Amino acid sequence: MENHNNRYARHYSLKGFGYEGQQKLAQAKVLVIGAGGLGCPVLQYLTAAGVGTIGLADDDVVSISNLQRQVVYSTEDVGRAKATVAAVKLQQLNPDITINSFKMAVTTVNALGLIADYDIVIDCTDNFAARYLINDACYLLNKPLIFASVYRYEGQVAVFNVAAADGTKTNYRNLFATPPDPLEVADCNDAGVLGVLPGIIGIMQATEAIKLLTGTGEVLSNKLLTFSILNYDSFIIDITADEQVNSLIPKDENAFKLTDYNWLCGTAITGIEDMDAAVFLKKINLPNTVVIDVREPQELPKAGFTNSNIPLSSLSGKISEIEADNIILFCQSGKRSLKAAQLLMEKFGTSKKISHLQGGITALQEYTNE
Amino acid sequence: MPITIIAFGQIAEITGKEFTVEAQDVTSLKLALNAKFPALAEKKYAIAVNKKLVTHSVALTENDTVALMPPYSGG
Repeated sequence: MENHNNRYARHYSLKGFGYEGQQKLAQAKVLVIGAGGLGCPVLQYLTAAGVGTIGLADDDVVSISNLQRQVVYSTEDVGRAKATVAAVKLQQLNPDITINSFKMAVTTVNALGLIADYDIVIDCTDNFAARYLINDACYLLNKPLIFASVYRYEGQVAVFNVAAADGTKTNYRNLFATPPDPLEVADCNDAGVLGVLPGIIGIMQATEAIKLLTGTGEVLSNKLLTFSILNYDSFIIDITADEQVNSLIPKDENAFKLTDYNWLCGTAITGIEDMDAAVFLKKINLPNTVVIDVREPQELPKAGFTNSNIPLSSLSGKISEIEADNIILFCQSGKRSLKAAQLLMEKFGTSKKISHLQGGITALQEYTNE
Repeated sequence: MPITIIAFGQIAEITGKEFTVEAQDVTSLKLALNAKFPALAEKKYAIAVNKKLVTHSVALTENDTVALMPPYSGG
């Protein structure tokens, strides 16, 4: 085994951190959920810092449009599972730590078992269904949760379920009791993001993890930090505990397992089929089927298959023009198409088969590029 | 009385980053905001008065700063 005095020499010589701080990192177990824009820097810095056990969970594969910000991956990794690639690269960075790689989505079925094995959870996901699921699971297990999310040029960071000086603890639901309508908030695919932003915000999450594990400085417990990369403004607010809000969280393990977070977040609707790219391509040419692009006419990329264009913004006035019995909807990311499917369901009920392309034309492109 | 508003993320894209609104408490502030920016009525955002999260209506006084903070989902 190599000489740790060399690898962590700058930690050992750091006043207020030293050998004791390094020992705390070596004994720690940290779970990182999501190995994307936020997850990459979190994983790299915690690996480099010598966190003894790092769990990483991600069910996605590397796509070329990830490489602008997801700096663990190389061009040759496109099409490979992020969990697999990241585990190999991180182990190369630091062979002395344990990396547990989980090539899977975190769900209500596996979340509690997975999280229970770790000291801290870091939420690096990119959607509200996952964020509320992870928040509720960490609340039920009383597990420290380091949250961050980004939008265009701004990031939010907070530390949940860690008692502040007054003994109170808060969680994401204290900020936003219930999920927003999926159409209301754009993700990176829809809104775009400057590649360095999740890098900076992810490093803030890694910083909070190291501080929390070693008792260094003050962590953002009961606080929300909003950081802008346009002018480096930091805006920190105090989050107040509110027991009433916690009643929105499933009351125990069984109730949690029965909660459908996709439905709760409006990202799945009963009666509407979510098609993945493979199924979508099989079904679009079937008889008695209409494929409708619900994006605005000028939006890119153009679809490479026959379709009609009825933007979501003008759909309600044109529903009666739709004659086919099988209606397949798509948009950029799958949000507007789901909303459109909902409008059609209200009109047609079950008299027509209504489906939409999950992940939108972005997911389709990634599938066909693989 | 005039209240200073600082907006973030998608909310700022509707309202602008900083502006003032006449209001006596958080409830009247929301009404004034919705009247001025109808698109806000549909949006979800947390409200912080002088950098403290508020979940119920509280009275506002002159020179108070109110932050409107929407949830972000990107990662």
